[in-house]
Amino acid sequence: MYTLTGVSKTFQKGRQMIPAVRDVSLRIGDGEWLTIQGRTGHGKTTLLQLLGGLDRPDSGAVEFGGQDLARLREAQLTRVRARSIGFIFQTFNLVPTLPAVDNVEAALIPLRLGSRDRRRRVARALESVGLADRARHLPAELSGGQQQRVAIARSLVKDPKVLLADEPTGNLDEGTRDEIITLLEKLSAERGLTIVLVTHDSAIARRSPRVAVMDGGRLTPS
Amino acid sequence: MFFVTFLRRELWRRRKQAVVIALGLAVGIGLVITVTAAAAGVRAAQASVLRSLYGVGTDVTVTTKPAVASPGSRTRVTIGPGGSQVCHGNSCHHGATKLDNLVSASYGPMPASDVDSIRALHGVTGAAGGLTLTDTQISIPASVASGGTLPQPRFISVDGTDLTHPGLGPLSAGRITRGRNLAASDAHADVAVVDANYATANKLKPGGKITIGKVRFTIVGIVTQPQGASPPNAYIPLARAQALARSDQNEKLTGQVNTVYVAAASAAVVPAVAKEISRLMPRATVTTSASLASQVTGSLSSTAKLADDLGRWLSVLVLATAVAVASLLTVAAVTRRVREFGTLKALGWRSTRIIAQVMGESLVLGLAGGAAGVGLGYAGAAIITRVAPRLSATLATPAAQHFFSSATGPGGVSGTSPGGSSAAAHSVTVPMSAPVSLAVIAAAVVLALAGGLIAGSFGSWRIAQLRPATALARVE
Repeated sequence: MYTLTGVSKTFQKGRQMIPAVRDVSLRIGDGEWLTIQGRTGHGKTTLLQLLGGLDRPDSGAVEFGGQDLARLREAQLTRVRARSIGFIFQTFNLVPTLPAVDNVEAALIPLRLGSRDRRRRVARALESVGLADRARHLPAELSGGQQQRVAIARSLVKDPKVLLADEPTGNLDEGTRDEIITLLEKLSAERGLTIVLVTHDSAIARRSPRVAVMDGGRLTPS
Repeated sequence: MFFVTFLRRELWRRRKQAVVIALGLAVGIGLVITVTAAAAGVRAAQASVLRSLYGVGTDVTVTTKPAVASPGSRTRVTIGPGGSQVCHGNSCHHGATKLDNLVSASYGPMPASDVDSIRALHGVTGAAGGLTLTDTQISIPASVASGGTLPQPRFISVDGTDLTHPGLGPLSAGRITRGRNLAASDAHADVAVVDANYATANKLKPGGKITIGKVRFTIVGIVTQPQGASPPNAYIPLARAQALARSDQNEKLTGQVNTVYVAAASAAVVPAVAKEISRLMPRATVTTSASLASQVTGSLSSTAKLADDLGRWLSVLVLATAVAVASLLTVAAVTRRVREFGTLKALGWRSTRIIAQVMGESLVLGLAGGAAGVGLGYAGAAIITRVAPRLSATLATPAAQHFFSSATGPGGVSGTSPGGSSAAAHSVTVPMSAPVSLAVIAAAVVLALAGGLIAGSFGSWRIAQLRPATALARVE
């Protein structure tokens, strides 16, 4: 699925250059679940953004499905994200004015499907996360766990090749955290989904079949 | 449908801000409509002032200044205890007598062929000559005792009307309310149409008689002129007026006119036509609505300046401020939604799609502001029409009749007829209205949409610059 070769990314803060990712090389296979663990500020999120085409590396190659994301034009990157990559964020990032059903449907808008087809897929996605009865609820009317499940439905409704999760349980209590991880495990098994999950939580890392550690921008297998 | 749902919900979420933006645009648009309507009303009032002087369909009028009359050309009247004397030239009549002089005192004469020359000019669709006259009637007694009452002259303003061009001239603006109008077949007949107010004051009616220039004219009709006009008291055929009237030099006016009424092909060519006439007749006074408007004083003139200068700039300023506020608020809203837009980009939304969403929101606010603005504009125009006072317009005209000047001679008084041509003021009052036209409403809607687009474009620029990674890193 992914082949990263010598990927580096540096940010400038004033006159200071801050290396967020340093010379990372990595292979992620189809259907694999990789957890990237590390302390806050060590480049985990930056690496995830490079994997998702949300940012470009300063050097190196990020090959995804045979394409180097670093060399694609913005419009091409947008198409790749629309079709093949699902995102889950720590803060859920649901559109606050849209009910759950429309939040999930938002992921299908770039695919230009017919409205009937969109509704059918949205209903299926919400059912798969156990929220079919909360379709018309606004995010403010849902618990944290429910909001994250809507976000998961949104990320999976387009049948992506890979799911990138950035601290998906960071804002949830322990019980809900386990619920979400269990849900992800189930969906991964059902769909053969490739998952890259970023976390600082060891308990979550322990549940992953493969873990790598991000320390000071460098990635090492654990 | 997703587009509409997203738009509707987002506008509802920031409804207070949306109301502020829409209201701001509404006030700006409303002011533009009201000021434009007021300006249109003032222009209509100015046009009606010209119409009241010269008649409907007249775009340009041509006159000449009267020559300074020589003393010998006038009728001199002396009244005293010793008897009355009326002299003309070296010929004098003693005793009681009746004078009835139909004179062109306001303007100098021009040959009627000048009308044909003007009619042949490029851009002229019609030209008609006329005579603006004053009939002075007075009964001179055989004598007046010292301290006794002097006879008072009676003045009748008369218009010699060209009946072959009924669409031009003062009579064309009126409406026959009794009897009939003058017809081309009346060209040499002793018939007259009388102004309604004059007829009422003097108990005249169709079939009755009015004496003008010593001739008894049969009244065939009563005409009502537009409100605010100061029309002539009577209209007679031009040929009869030419035969009976005299110039200030006491010369016959056969084949002469003293006013030419000109119709232009369109409002756009009026200045060019006026210029051509001035070139053709360098000594003539050529008046258009625009030049007349610049001579008009009074509250109409002040209102015109107010609507044009202050009103226009004020409405532009208010509208510009509204658009600026709308733009700032839109940019602020987009800034607040940076994470939301970053997420949409992460989901695969193109910038153009997100921009379309924001522009849609701005356009809806623009439309709402425009609709409310049209309502406010209508209300403002209605208030102006309802409460605005009648406007006065004063125009200096070269017409005055002084019959008796200061006492001279032993115990008596004397006067000359007609008197000199000192300037006098012609005043009319016109109602102020503020008509709202469809063109103004359409322009207002376009302005509102433009305002919305401008506001949305600032927000759209912000979105286009957005990097997804930066947007998602933003802490709210």
